[in-house]
Amino acid sequence: MSERNESDRLQNESWIQRMMRRPEIGSFIVMIIIILALGLASEGKAFNALGLKNNIAIIAQLGIIAVGAALLMIAGEFDLSIGPMIAFAGMSMAIMLKWGLPFGLGEATPFTAFAITMCMTLGFGWLIGTIVVRSGLSSFIVTLAFWFFLRGLTEVCFRLINQNTNVSGLPDFKKESWFAEQMGGEVFGWLYDAWFWIGQKVASGLEFTAGMTKEEKIDLINYLSFLNINRKMEQWVTGFDARLFWFIIIAAVAWYVLAKTQIGNWIYATGDNKESARANGVPVNRVKVGLFMFSAFCATIFAACQVFDTNSSDAAKGMFKELEAIAIAVVGGILMTGGFGSIVGVIFGAITFGLVANAVFFIPWIDGAWFRVFVGTVLLAAVFANERIRKRITGGI
Amino acid sequence: MAPKSFMRVENITKKFGPFTALNGVDLDVYPGEVHALLGDNGAGKSTLIKILSGVHQPTSGTIYMEEVKRSFRSPREASAAGIGTVYQDLAINQLMSVTRNFFMGRELTSTLGKLKIDEMNQIAHDEMLKIGIDFSDPSQAVGTMSGGQRQTLAIARAIYFGAKVLILDEPTSALGQKQQMEVLKTIKRVRARGDIAIIFITHNEIHSRLIADRYTFLALGQVIGQGTKSELEGGDIRRLMAGGAEIKDLEQELAKI
Repeated sequence: MSERNESDRLQNESWIQRMMRRPEIGSFIVMIIIILALGLASEGKAFNALGLKNNIAIIAQLGIIAVGAALLMIAGEFDLSIGPMIAFAGMSMAIMLKWGLPFGLGEATPFTAFAITMCMTLGFGWLIGTIVVRSGLSSFIVTLAFWFFLRGLTEVCFRLINQNTNVSGLPDFKKESWFAEQMGGEVFGWLYDAWFWIGQKVASGLEFTAGMTKEEKIDLINYLSFLNINRKMEQWVTGFDARLFWFIIIAAVAWYVLAKTQIGNWIYATGDNKESARANGVPVNRVKVGLFMFSAFCATIFAACQVFDTNSSDAAKGMFKELEAIAIAVVGGILMTGGFGSIVGVIFGAITFGLVANAVFFIPWIDGAWFRVFVGTVLLAAVFANERIRKRITGGI
Repeated sequence: MAPKSFMRVENITKKFGPFTALNGVDLDVYPGEVHALLGDNGAGKSTLIKILSGVHQPTSGTIYMEEVKRSFRSPREASAAGIGTVYQDLAINQLMSVTRNFFMGRELTSTLGKLKIDEMNQIAHDEMLKIGIDFSDPSQAVGTMSGGQRQTLAIARAIYFGAKVLILDEPTSALGQKQQMEVLKTIKRVRARGDIAIIFITHNEIHSRLIADRYTFLALGQVIGQGTKSELEGGDIRRLMAGGAEIKDLEQELAKI
């Protein structure tokens, strides 16, 4: 008879048990419930050609900053300055586009305005990170200070330079600038083209006729909306917002780095126990500063998508976005204490939040403020669930 | 003929301001031997190992590694020179897997920093098997392991990354009886390799007697007794453990109260 040893106590698990231990399982289940609920309550309208575009726009928007916030949280730090960073970056780009580059460098192009803004926001990210690691203060306090600092700075700059708290009516740069189109234009048009092409085949023979009643017409419009056809029988929607492209890029890179690379291991190690990480030669401070900069990078991409989409900016942009980003990260299974979580979970969380934030547009009888009620509830539930998952993984220690 | 010492520490002193933590300590460690470093709380054991592992720099004194004079300005330099320290907290992260802990900070990577996760799993498994634990699943979180297994992981890691002198800081404290024995077995297996010198810091006289070949006793920052197992007798060990006080004296003192 073989001797029983310590490792025998770890039971072999079926794949279902393994799945249930994954950090993203909770957010996946919530996401499925929300997709089904929204689909039913909106009679499918949330996922017709336009509904999908609008939903994905907000999902991608929230997702971009949530990925930055999530990596930082896995490394054990918070960033409350995401929202003000968005406002600052938007202000910086819009003002440069309207008033020209600083120091008399002449007219700004979308790319130069973006590049200079990115340098500034990365600088702020570096500064925040450096203050946090050097002082050993809680990132909550340091980034709260930067929340006020950047909010104030944004408004002051708007007033000083533009005599107003916003810039609006910028020319539509998307027409002449490839870069602006990449940020604020449309992407994956071929998907909608294909959708329309298939829609036409399905809808062939359907048309509006003089003898139709109003109800019949509405039914037909509804039906066509799922085939990407408008009431003139032309293509209805031409593509997704460009921020989807950036969300995919940022999420894919973040996933790869976190799950598959050395830096990913450093991020986990830093968040789990930074002293032991340091003792093993992990450059803890560099990891943290880098992630504060990455968070600022995500906020700047968010702002650029917004500015080049709407050709405007104002001082109130990005309001509450830092809190939403953190909430998404938590719902996505990131532990508040760091060291654990996955980007896939964050993507599920972003989908859930985006759908709920937009639900008011698809379900007319619902009050938009329910969004926050939902967020509060789900957030609390997620924290409890995460704690359970953590205990399950660490064997209750 | 005495075997060549692996690491020799001569006349190390360490002052923290007006406080003298170590006052001229000598130490010799030999490959394939367990050198027990004993002493009461505050005797200077921790300061000594922090100097050996590069955390602190000595105020004066020298460290020789294989007869070459060395000085370590950082833990990294000490570990590059072959000094592997396993602290009480083990420097292990609970939420991370065995493999990710094993290679923490020293990951094997291919292009673009990609982890060679299969190779790493294999190495972690093999290295831990060598000193006594067979892990079926190196991707399991360390949080699920027992205290003794965690010790083994930390020791295996130190050896794999080139420790020639393995410093174990109270590896048996805070463990249950059975796990203490597991750790002692692990230490014996490392000793049996013959090429690694072990410095074993402990409070526990019984544990030191079970595996140590050589002893150094510290009290108030000074060496109060040193020698091989055969040179010291059991009574000596107990007396020196108590910082030179006789157990009989202690008994009398206790009785007075």
